[in-house]
Amino acid sequence: MKKLLALVLALSTVLGLLAGCGAKENTAGTTTEDTANTETTDAPETTDNTAETGTEETTDDNSGAVVVDLTILKEADDSMLNTYSMIAVNPEAPFTDADGNAVSDVTINTAGADALMHWLLLPETMELATNYGMEEYGNTLFYAVDGAPTYEGEIPAATDETKTIRLSTTTSVNDSGLLAYLLPQFEEAYGYTVEVQSAGTGKAIEAAKFGNADLILVHSKSQEEEFVNAGFARVIDGMETERLSFLYNYFVLCGPSADPAGVKDAATVLDAFAAIAEGKYPFISRGDGSGTHTKELSLWPAELGITEDPESFADYTDWYTSANAGMGACLVMAEEMGGYILTDKATFLTFVANNGVME
Amino acid sequence: MGSAVEQAVQLIASGDRELLNILSVTARMSLSSSLIALLLGVPLGLLLGACRFPGRGLLLVLNRTLMGVPPVVCGLIFYILFSGVGPLRHFHLLFTVEIMILAQVVLITPLLTSHMETYVAQIAGPVRETAKGLGLSRWKTFLLLLNESRYPIFSGYLLGFSRAIAEVGAVSMVGGAIAWKTNVMTTAIMQYTNRGNFSLGIALGLILLVLSLGMNLLLSLLQRKVAS
Repeated sequence: MKKLLALVLALSTVLGLLAGCGAKENTAGTTTEDTANTETTDAPETTDNTAETGTEETTDDNSGAVVVDLTILKEADDSMLNTYSMIAVNPEAPFTDADGNAVSDVTINTAGADALMHWLLLPETMELATNYGMEEYGNTLFYAVDGAPTYEGEIPAATDETKTIRLSTTTSVNDSGLLAYLLPQFEEAYGYTVEVQSAGTGKAIEAAKFGNADLILVHSKSQEEEFVNAGFARVIDGMETERLSFLYNYFVLCGPSADPAGVKDAATVLDAFAAIAEGKYPFISRGDGSGTHTKELSLWPAELGITEDPESFADYTDWYTSANAGMGACLVMAEEMGGYILTDKATFLTFVANNGVME
Repeated sequence: MGSAVEQAVQLIASGDRELLNILSVTARMSLSSSLIALLLGVPLGLLLGACRFPGRGLLLVLNRTLMGVPPVVCGLIFYILFSGVGPLRHFHLLFTVEIMILAQVVLITPLLTSHMETYVAQIAGPVRETAKGLGLSRWKTFLLLLNESRYPIFSGYLLGFSRAIAEVGAVSMVGGAIAWKTNVMTTAIMQYTNRGNFSLGIALGLILLVLSLGMNLLLSLLQRKVAS
């Protein structure tokens, strides 16, 4: 009897849930359609797209809308340059297993990695990449590096052996949506399957050292050079160097629009960081060994001595938060805490366009 | 939360292809890993619960220790073993559903074994007495014991399934959460949370719970039928 009762109760809960959702579904459907419509009609005029959809949301949907207060305070500064490079993994690299013993027969799909890298360096692909974001955010998110290597030759179609390409990349490339936009076109044209693993730059490079990636696409020069110098990289056909820097954008320093630290008026980014530290204004650090984290560490005044080591910022925990999380999660945290944060522009624009969440 | 429910319904209603793929990978992984774990755990549990042999106590302690292995540690071990530089690299299993199932089996089997063992240890004495009284053979006694354990076998399967579908630490390590291939519900929720999209994460969580509820209802009905 009791069992029967419990079953009936559980069933009615499910039905109630579904019924409740069904009723809400209609209104929900229309509101999102509305916003979707305004977004598509807004898209061609590009300029104030993000701001407009922002206000649209607040009037339309007062249930859970977040008005993003975070704004870009410092950008396009040379010290904030964010260069993306790709590196092919060398199958003859000095791989070692977890115990440090040499391993010689690591399977790396070199032909597949070559094809993908060559395709990314085609002038047509570069044009796609540098125009990416114009439609959605009214702003280009990536620029072509001056004198970036280009490729004009043929790209072989996939064979059974070269079909699967393992790409290890950083969260910021993946979260900006660039790969989801580019890769399907490559896969469709040549029949490859690209398996994307995304993690912070540190972990992305480590995965390659473990023989789990055919190429890497990352943005941390010092870590890339270390990878190349250790012999893990390979020069692909028609290129001169292992490290192929092809896209860049800028890191941006964001903070509350009221800007209590006066970052906007600081002469340089370094001064801005010094001002934040001096006034002990809340700052959110990725704290995860990512490219963004590495860049941030290089911008603090040297006398603070902030490094990756948790010991080094133990005295600053009243204002310095080491989040150990992805870019999106850190942006949400900065928004909540009214803190300052260093972020790549692509992720930030996506964050604002989606009203405080990342799609 | 309200918007999360809306999003969950929208996601299902829209028949999003990526969501369908995530659901099918999740189902494949949790159903097969719990089934394999059941096939291993039930005999082991019966053996440990009903038979007395030297080393049984040690095995019990070992099994209970394995129950406490953090999933992420299990995932890390498999990651290292099956990495491009690992000793088992020639199987080419890293970042596949198969290795996710394997890691899950290692995590779930001790739970099922212990679950069976606790129950069987209680009923083994009386069952043996009855069998002796009826003059049953060893094989018949075993069948009687198995028959008496129908109920915990079902609840054990549910235990394994729930653990498998809810697991994130191990499967994200060995599966890599690759879109269209090894991304399951829990790793997708992690991804959305990392990107700060909490409501979509909750929406997926709700779908996961409803699935789990459906599975539980189904098996409970079956269990009642078989047990009565």
